[in-house]
Amino acid sequence: MSQTRKQLLTDPLVDNNPITLQVLGICSALAVTSSLNVAFVMSLAVIAVCGFSSLFISFLRHYIPNSIRIIVQMVIIASLVILVDQIIKAYAYEISKTLSVFVGLIITNCIVMGRAEAFAMKNKPFESFVDGVGNGLGYSLLLMSVGVIRELFGSGSLFGIMIFEPVSNGGWYVPNGLLLLPPSAFFIIGFIIWGVRTWKKSQVEAREYKIQTLEEH
Amino acid sequence: MSKPNNILTKFKNMPVDGMTKTLFVAITLCLVCSMVVSFAAVNLKEIQEVNKAVDKQKNILQVAGLYYDGIDVEKAFSSFQPIVVDLNQGKFTNRFDPLTFDDRKAAQDPQLSISLKEDPASIGRRTNFATVYLLKKEDGSLDKVILPIHGYGLWSTLYGFIALEKNGNDIFGLQFYQHAETPGLGAEVDNPKWKAQWKGKKINNDSGELMITVAKTQKYKDHHIDALAGATLTSNGVDNLVKFWMGEAGFKKFLTNLQNGAA
Amino acid sequence: MSLRNYFHSMEPHFEKGGKYEKYYPIFEMVETIFFTSNTVTKVAPHARSFVDMKRVMTYVVISTIPCVLWALYNTGLQTNSALATVGIESQSGWRISLLQFIGLGISPESLVSNVFHGLLYFLPIYLTTLIAGGICEVTFATIRGHEVNEGFLVSSMLFALTLPASTPLWQVALGIAFGVVVGKEVFGGTGKNFLNPALTGRAFLYFAYPAYMSGDSIWTPVDGYSGATSLGIAAAEGYESLSNYGITWADAFFGTIQGSLGETSTLACAIGLVFLLLTKIANYRMVVGCLLGMIIFSSFLNWVGSDTNPMFSMPWYWHLVIGSYAFGLVFMVTEPVSGSHTNLGRYIYGALIGFMVVMIRVLNPAFPEGMMLAILFGNIFAPLIDHFVVMANIKRRTKFNVQTQ
Repeated sequence: MSQTRKQLLTDPLVDNNPITLQVLGICSALAVTSSLNVAFVMSLAVIAVCGFSSLFISFLRHYIPNSIRIIVQMVIIASLVILVDQIIKAYAYEISKTLSVFVGLIITNCIVMGRAEAFAMKNKPFESFVDGVGNGLGYSLLLMSVGVIRELFGSGSLFGIMIFEPVSNGGWYVPNGLLLLPPSAFFIIGFIIWGVRTWKKSQVEAREYKIQTLEEH
Repeated sequence: MSKPNNILTKFKNMPVDGMTKTLFVAITLCLVCSMVVSFAAVNLKEIQEVNKAVDKQKNILQVAGLYYDGIDVEKAFSSFQPIVVDLNQGKFTNRFDPLTFDDRKAAQDPQLSISLKEDPASIGRRTNFATVYLLKKEDGSLDKVILPIHGYGLWSTLYGFIALEKNGNDIFGLQFYQHAETPGLGAEVDNPKWKAQWKGKKINNDSGELMITVAKTQKYKDHHIDALAGATLTSNGVDNLVKFWMGEAGFKKFLTNLQNGAA
Repeated sequence: MSLRNYFHSMEPHFEKGGKYEKYYPIFEMVETIFFTSNTVTKVAPHARSFVDMKRVMTYVVISTIPCVLWALYNTGLQTNSALATVGIESQSGWRISLLQFIGLGISPESLVSNVFHGLLYFLPIYLTTLIAGGICEVTFATIRGHEVNEGFLVSSMLFALTLPASTPLWQVALGIAFGVVVGKEVFGGTGKNFLNPALTGRAFLYFAYPAYMSGDSIWTPVDGYSGATSLGIAAAEGYESLSNYGITWADAFFGTIQGSLGETSTLACAIGLVFLLLTKIANYRMVVGCLLGMIIFSSFLNWVGSDTNPMFSMPWYWHLVIGSYAFGLVFMVTEPVSGSHTNLGRYIYGALIGFMVVMIRVLNPAFPEGMMLAILFGNIFAPLIDHFVVMANIKRRTKFNVQTQ
């Protein structure tokens, strides 16, 4: 793999992460991260949809009329999402029950649309595919990190396997109920963004204004 | 050059943004996509239906205390006999195929359900027909009865099953398979410790009065379930729905008939 | 060498370019405990009189003294009474052993025993708050290079007073840490927090560990003793049946009822309020707004009435004395930073909280107590209210100018 293609794959993981830098796709990140199993399947679904939609759109990019550009992208993405949804329902029924509408909502996930419009329309199929998968991976990385925190401290388990025995089962750990509620994902994503931007200063946005001190008057 | 080729070349040379090509792309794309989607839906439907059935069977096995990890659900479920009950008559009916009958759909159908005037479980309409599951012993005699129940808690309708011993009065277990109550409070209806309380409790007292109660303070030992700590409204919901389904408007008639062999 | 000179001799080491430049906030914190700071404020909040930030915060702490004293007495009273009911044999714990060892006993009639027993519950919670919150505060001050602010003393005191006596200490530490970091420091520290830090921490605990923050068995720290708060009873059976539990309006007003440590006594809160109003720390407009909002909306609900929800009929003078309404009104609503900053806005802000608290108490089935959520709600809307008030002012003045030209 050439240097640039590798970058296409690895850049969205940290340096250009769709969630922490661009703050896209938050909605599903809040909804599906209370258990790792669910977050994992959702991650796979997004990687697949993002990668293949970019691939197909890139194949067709010279034939897509500008006036119905967005609709064409939507139709391709929607078809892929339905496909994924059907497959999950067939082969991972338990998880499909908790994922329910959120797989369908991948259609409206800004990351998928964003990559199709910003990258796949202007680049060759293979590059587009790699870029789509890379962004899907970036999304997944964050989803899984949030999932680990929420499930471990919220239920005391990882992938459904008990790590901290909760008090209600005779153990010692008092599960943190806030982490099972969707708003907690806001805090966690916030903390992660804080951490990433402390580590990579270049991601910090410029201040819009500054409170003036007396000396500056 | 033949004529069709001319049209093809002409078409090829048309601008991508032109009306013809736009329509062409739109129609072709729709056709291809709909074919892909329907192909997937049709081919996977069978597996999905099986999944759905297995999931329900799993819940029934769980409430009957027969479920363990790695069990062959379909094989284990073969000792259950699903059968549709007419709630108004309190008798079995063979109007519907129990394998395909959908209680939840029936509850929405004005033909198959009644609108409740007194509605403690806040379910709006009650189905006239419900699928129950009879667990048979190896010699074919009745072992347990599994009844579907549901009702409103604090945030959501709780759907579940209650398993009764063959006398139709002793509770064997209770399990909700679908709800959206507060994690840590109402969602503790899934807590194995709390669920274990139900085992051995009696629904009615000796004179046949409905006594089973979920409450904070214990009045009658045999009929008392501790309310969930800090979840008054979910507890009230469970109390109401169990009372409703075990009462006259629910399965009481059926359970009495079952005892007398009149079901 | 006098203390003053000692500090002066040390100061250069901590100033810019000095050896311990990084630790200036800690030096400043220790120095200003003894002496008034030489510096003047550079950023908001600005005080316009001789009353500086430190004095403002000290006044607030002073105003909580009646609540603290009552917390000691009432916690002890409730615990001792419960022990008398349940029987001391079934109980164990260092507090009871200590009380018996020093000969105070656990009689609910003994004032000294009550206060001392209460102290044994309050002190660990308060000290944990100070230490855990203090560590967060100092860490941030050191890294960010701002000063350790006295506001933390207020936050920690208020936070401790809002907790039930049975709260495990690790939860206390976690709660105040969350309050200080998420409620205040991430927004830039004291003066820039748009949420009340103490309440942010309290809300965190409420949602994270609901079984420890609500229910019937947590208010009195005695094993096997269960007793609902007056709000819990009122929500379940109506306020009229409070008397069946031996709770009169006067009990609720004086505060000999179950509840969080410092929130039970309306009288103690009222004394604090008078002090805050006299010293002009608290802005009376917020208090008036909050009272009016609560009285009007609860009276409206009394008038509407309901067959199924007994809370509808609860009159305003009961809303005032039970739960944490009074405490929140005096110490949280009046908090100047997270509230509105315009005078008209303050009325609206107060009224919004008064309205919301009744709304949550009466109409939301999940939360019997609504004060905490109502105030946080108000905090979020405060800047918006200010914005509209300022905009309306600008509009009116432009019109006025046009007319006079």
